[in-house]
Amino acid sequence: MKETEGSISQNREVRTRFFHSLIRMRALNVFFIFLLLGIVFAIFSPGHRFISKESLEVFLALGAEFNIVALVVGMLMISGEFDLSVGSILVFCSFSFIKIFDAGVNIYLAALIALGIGALIGWLHGFITVKTGIPSFITTLGAMLFWRGITIFWSEGFSKPLESEQFPVFNAMFTGTIADIVPVQFIWFVGIALILGLLIHFHKFGNWVYSTGDNEQAARAMGINTDRVKMICFSIVGLVCSFVAIMQIVRVGSFTSRAGDGWELKAIAASVVGGTALSGGIGSILGIFWGALIISIIENGLVIMRIAYSWTYTVFGVVIVSSVIISLFIEKKRMSIGAEST
Amino acid sequence: MENKRSDSEKATTSHRKGSESLLVRMVDIHKWFGKVYALRGVNFKVREGEILGLVGDNGAGKSTLIKILSGFHLADKGEIYFEGKKANIRTPKDAKRLGIETVYQEQALAPHVSISRNVFMGREPARFLGFMNKKMMDKESLDTLSNIGLQLKDPEAVVETLSGGQRQGVAIARVLYFKAKLVILDEPTMALSVKESKQVMEFMKQLKDEGLSVVFITHNLYHAYQIAERFVILAHGEKLADVRREDTSIDNLSQLIISGRSEEK
Repeated sequence: MKETEGSISQNREVRTRFFHSLIRMRALNVFFIFLLLGIVFAIFSPGHRFISKESLEVFLALGAEFNIVALVVGMLMISGEFDLSVGSILVFCSFSFIKIFDAGVNIYLAALIALGIGALIGWLHGFITVKTGIPSFITTLGAMLFWRGITIFWSEGFSKPLESEQFPVFNAMFTGTIADIVPVQFIWFVGIALILGLLIHFHKFGNWVYSTGDNEQAARAMGINTDRVKMICFSIVGLVCSFVAIMQIVRVGSFTSRAGDGWELKAIAASVVGGTALSGGIGSILGIFWGALIISIIENGLVIMRIAYSWTYTVFGVVIVSSVIISLFIEKKRMSIGAEST
Repeated sequence: MENKRSDSEKATTSHRKGSESLLVRMVDIHKWFGKVYALRGVNFKVREGEILGLVGDNGAGKSTLIKILSGFHLADKGEIYFEGKKANIRTPKDAKRLGIETVYQEQALAPHVSISRNVFMGREPARFLGFMNKKMMDKESLDTLSNIGLQLKDPEAVVETLSGGQRQGVAIARVLYFKAKLVILDEPTMALSVKESKQVMEFMKQLKDEGLSVVFITHNLYHAYQIAERFVILAHGEKLADVRREDTSIDNLSQLIISGRSEEK
């Protein structure tokens, strides 16, 4: 008799623990929003075109470019900083890449140099932010205008074709499909998310990022070099923006000075929808992963439903605010179940 | 963990052979902040394995003295001896290397990060390529918490969900795990309920039982009196009194603090 009682209470404990871990998984809620949007678009798009092979391919391929950027912007936000300059880093690296390639440099080397430039720009933003102590919102607002201005000045606002036909392997790295279905871009997105997820959630560095964003003073008191942590995060943002710049220019086949325009706020929106706090220290890569997909599914779905593009912004607005309200509610729930008695 | 502790215990007992061995001796410490003469030749010592109450009003110089000991400030004049040897403490890292750890109220923890990640913040054990050994972190943090008498079940719980007393416990467990010899607690009972304050004082006793010395900084004399074995009273940058608990009474101490003058003996 006693044993059954024991096993019942044990059962209950297992059940509540399971429930608690569900609530703790913020990312799950974000996933449900994504799923809901997917179902809505699948049902209401004319002829259910949203789930056609072509449409899904576009969604996965084009969306991936933005999604990858959103991942690193989210990671930077966990460390307690912002980057408004992602679109401008992207366009500058895009132009640098095509310029270097046009100068006769091997395409792989040109890509490496462009990646280096991206990382260096990111590092510079970080350096200015931590050394002067001004908010990164300001640093990268300035940087956003600066790098796009420079690019428009250099390119004189024209587009420029990229002639990379003689490098089929290079092209396939960024534009092909795997098994004739999954676009390479999406594989990159998943791969980069996995790497960042491992880094942020399982590596020492991840713990430094969270601690820095959550309580910088405590992190510093425990011997974490918070300035270096932030500078590394900024560099990763720059590096990844440059990577996406190359990916995009290979797909489009030409340079345009409008590349990456408006991505900075969308990337922050994706992170926030994914459960990242503006104040730092809170967020997960899985959450940002689904958050980014939510932003790109809205963009894509509305186009397929032939709704005027201007509505996209309206829907973004509604989704951002309501998702934050929902996560605030869940957070309260989390707090109330999280406390343990001694 | 067990091994590490017993090692340091051995070290402590061997030190104790020299009767009342001193862990820290600060001699004739002076500190100016611009025109403010914050410390006026203070002598301060901490014995091994004792709980010392450092008491005084706001602005008495308690924090300044302790910040010099923990490497956040440099003294303008004076010397520090640690375990009998002259110590050159210029940065918080120097202090940590000696085994001096300071626990600051509310500044010590990252509230949205889990208990085990907080305990190991900045000193995460890694298995390969810097990837954290989560299993060990979880186990060791719960074990260390139970060493100071705090039984928690879930090392993954974020610190924000804990009570004020439990949070202090996490911060204290951290310094215990990393083999501090001297733990300085800066106003650990401020903003805590009566019950939570009792709990934090219980943690201090556990630290003492583990062979550590504790400096308990407070302006609440009643809290200090419940637990400290010796009291150092500061006022206006000078040491007013340095008395053992059995040689004084709480009325006597509070008289000292209020008058701000030392008694003529």
